[in-house]
Amino acid sequence: MTSLSLKRLAVLALPMAALTTIATAAQAQEWTPSKSIEFVAPANPGGGWDTLVRTVSRVIQQEGLADKNFAAINVPGGGGAVAWAQIARDSGNPHKLFATSPPMILVPLAGASRYDHTDFTPVARINTDYSIILVAADSEYQDVNDLFTALKENPRLSVGGGSAPGSMDHISIAGLASAAGLDASAVNYIPFSGGGDAMTNLMGGHIEAVITGAGESVGQLGEGSQLRALGVSSEERLGGALAEVPTYQEQGIDYSFDIWRGVMGAPDMPEEAVAYYEELFAEMLETDAWRQASDQLGWIDAYQDSEEFGAFLDEQQEQFSSVLSDLGLLRQ
Amino acid sequence: MTKLNTNQWLAVVLALFAAAYLAMAWQVPTFPLPRPVDSDLFPKVLGAALLLLSIFLFFEKPGAIAGADEIDSDASRHGPLWLTPWARVIVTALAIAAYAFLLVPLGFVLASTLLCVGLTAYYGYRRHGVNLLTSLGVVLALYLTMTRVMDVYLPTGVLPF
Amino acid sequence: MDALNNLMYGFGIALEPMNIAYVFAGVFAGTIIGMLPGLGPISALALMIPITFAMEPSSGLILMAGVYYGAIFGGSTSSILLNAPGVAGTVATSFDGYPMAKQGKAGKALAIAAYSSFVGGTVSVIFLMLVAPLLSKVAVSFGPAEYFALMVLGLTAVVSLSDKSLVKGLIAAVVGVMISIVGIDMQTGTERFTFNSINLLDGIDFLVVALGIFALAEVFYMLLRGGGGKEAPRNAIGSLKLTRSEVGQIAGPVSRSSVLGFFTGVLPGAGATIGSFLGYSMEKRIAKDGDTFGKGNIKGVAAPEAANNAACTGSFVPLLTLGVPGSGTTAVLLGALLVMGVTPGPMMLEQRPDVFWGVVASMYIGNIFLLVLNLPLIPLIAKILDLPKPLLLSLILIFCMIGVYGMSFSVFDLLLLLGFGLLGLGMRLFGFPAAPLILALILGNIMEESMRRALQISGGDWMTFVDKPISLSLLLIALLSLGLPLLKKRRKKAAVAE
Repeated sequence: MTSLSLKRLAVLALPMAALTTIATAAQAQEWTPSKSIEFVAPANPGGGWDTLVRTVSRVIQQEGLADKNFAAINVPGGGGAVAWAQIARDSGNPHKLFATSPPMILVPLAGASRYDHTDFTPVARINTDYSIILVAADSEYQDVNDLFTALKENPRLSVGGGSAPGSMDHISIAGLASAAGLDASAVNYIPFSGGGDAMTNLMGGHIEAVITGAGESVGQLGEGSQLRALGVSSEERLGGALAEVPTYQEQGIDYSFDIWRGVMGAPDMPEEAVAYYEELFAEMLETDAWRQASDQLGWIDAYQDSEEFGAFLDEQQEQFSSVLSDLGLLRQ
Repeated sequence: MTKLNTNQWLAVVLALFAAAYLAMAWQVPTFPLPRPVDSDLFPKVLGAALLLLSIFLFFEKPGAIAGADEIDSDASRHGPLWLTPWARVIVTALAIAAYAFLLVPLGFVLASTLLCVGLTAYYGYRRHGVNLLTSLGVVLALYLTMTRVMDVYLPTGVLPF
Repeated sequence: MDALNNLMYGFGIALEPMNIAYVFAGVFAGTIIGMLPGLGPISALALMIPITFAMEPSSGLILMAGVYYGAIFGGSTSSILLNAPGVAGTVATSFDGYPMAKQGKAGKALAIAAYSSFVGGTVSVIFLMLVAPLLSKVAVSFGPAEYFALMVLGLTAVVSLSDKSLVKGLIAAVVGVMISIVGIDMQTGTERFTFNSINLLDGIDFLVVALGIFALAEVFYMLLRGGGGKEAPRNAIGSLKLTRSEVGQIAGPVSRSSVLGFFTGVLPGAGATIGSFLGYSMEKRIAKDGDTFGKGNIKGVAAPEAANNAACTGSFVPLLTLGVPGSGTTAVLLGALLVMGVTPGPMMLEQRPDVFWGVVASMYIGNIFLLVLNLPLIPLIAKILDLPKPLLLSLILIFCMIGVYGMSFSVFDLLLLLGFGLLGLGMRLFGFPAAPLILALILGNIMEESMRRALQISGGDWMTFVDKPISLSLLLIALLSLGLPLLKKRRKKAAVAE
């Protein structure tokens, strides 16, 4: 009997102790994690979110930036919706972070998640990638305008992408089309099961063009390749193997599209914890290990702190919903 | 009314299922952008195919089903009710459902060991020591490989590790 | 002999002591991962990316490739012994492997699986070496229309897989397709048959269905038949040795399935699972004793095992020569290569011949390792069948549960597993074959997607399927293979009548 109640006491005392630590830390205006941080990739191993989560965890550990471990956890399902639903229940938990990118805005807009970005705490934007338009090397189209002129004449011309209609690749090309003076829904967008799948079909001549992530396409461009890039969605030209690719703006279309990646936390995360993570990620971006990893993955740093990131997300939501409503895909 | 044979019973059940499926297929919303084949065509074809097949099944002469006669009739007549063959299946199914719900609160090691030891004893294995050791050993080995070596997160539950 | 020089160069790399160690570590870890439930090659490889990060790219890929084909090699073990496939590519192996184990021939089944895997693996490496650059053209020639035709061809196997009642086989297949289209429709983003549950948005995982319908249903069935303590444990593992006539019997299936599996693997999106099913059903159709398939025919173990290992090697063709991943597993490999600073693609053979030829050479070595590693292990692993029946049954249950939970971390999936277990039991009691359901589940979704994609490209013109030569010929073969078994049956009936 005594041992049982002792055990009970211990169970009660543990969270109490944790609470006191948090309280004292908060008083000192400096919060530090008291246990390992759960860093959720809302997808299966191997994808973009997973790579971000694992790379960030590894760099932080390697460089000894945090006292506590970052534990990578995969919660796949529903394009992120399963993980979001779980994290939304964990309100106020300062030890729970997750990787995020445009689907955080797009999936809720398509009506496939009860939670949207306003339900979570923005922590920091980390980096970004851009969209790129590819055609076969021997294609008659020399620039983006050629492609859109042809699209105007023949609306059946097929443009492949790596995700479902209404998600990232489709929004990117539809937004570009309306900036170029076409109807957003005029693009015959063919969804494939991934950017690689779409590019294979382009090489085989089954479709006319492909819209995909610039990072994903790097290996397909350059000397002797079967594909050619018509334009990239960044505001300025990218470096490395993509230095030759003109931006849309250079070609007279005022349009840019970011495939940003960032970190968000559980709802109502304490301010002190947010401040701690902001600083941690800013510091991480300065390390050599991060530099090396992100060069190899073709990532471009695009840090924003919590407040800027939050405002940026609101902006993105506005931009995406206008494209979606042009397409007639916005769910009320 | 003539008595229905096995295939006829099955056919009626399948036809009902097909009808419900078809009703749901008609609820699949139309995509706002024009598609040559929309999301609803395949489900409709599948539902119709199942309906047609269940009609064929209705008129098929039921053949002997291998294995159906092998049900342990000895135990169902003599043993206690909770050890009859069907009781074994039902108890196992309930145990699996309970396991699913208790996995996260109890933790992987505890829930899995409990399920394994419990079912083994229920199926009639009497050497409880061997049972406990083997179950715990296998579960722990799997748990440690997954969490320590492969870095896969499994719920810890009430145990500290 | 350009290829020979290149291969010698590759062996120069693969035979470096460190790389030999990596091949060994890779195939060993792969075998274990394949045997364990819940750890598919995809997650295993994703978890290895941080380890390979700092490695020389050729060593890193040698290690990861070893894990990949090692897992397919090892996956057959649980299919054969427990009827619980640990890896999707080995589901077809359980059709005849498990009946063999029940007949006390577990040792032989495992040995056949090991030999066939070895031959499949080695034959396909030879193909990879000789024709990889050429085959990249074949891989891209398959567009949506061609995939649709290929899936139709695959589905015709339903006829030969449904043994007693064709109607019941077809019903199982229709239900299989129904299961495969649950979730978000990739072509429109529309939810279908999800009952507003977020757990069903991504559809139902293939392994949940396979483990439920095979392993769990088998446990239920054994319980019904009196799986209590009184039944003596099955002690016979049997000899591992193959007689000369048995070697003769499987030689044909193994070589045919190796080639078929390799070409299936080359096609992006097809891979080991489809390869093994195609190999199995092809052999069942052309074998004289086709009706003993599913009852412990050694050819039914040999064909899918040769095919899935060959397909695994084949899937390196689009990865290494085009730089596009053909499957989830190769997508992870592609990511790992990028992290190591190598961009696979058309230029890789010229820029990084060390990676390409090093890996090819390492695959020869890895396959030999797998064979010598696995054969002595067989009697040890098969000892699991010596466990008292009650203990074995509950361990199979645990095995399935970890398999499902470790894959999706979802309690909902555990309940689905239970549901499919009960469905599987019902199907068995009422004489519905399980194989057509599984086959339709794999092919159904890809068939629908590629059909709609093709029509979206052609602007709704159905002639696209017959206008393209590859698609047309595949559809014709499908028609032919539907006609053939019917003819065979008629001839048999005629013979009986005489």
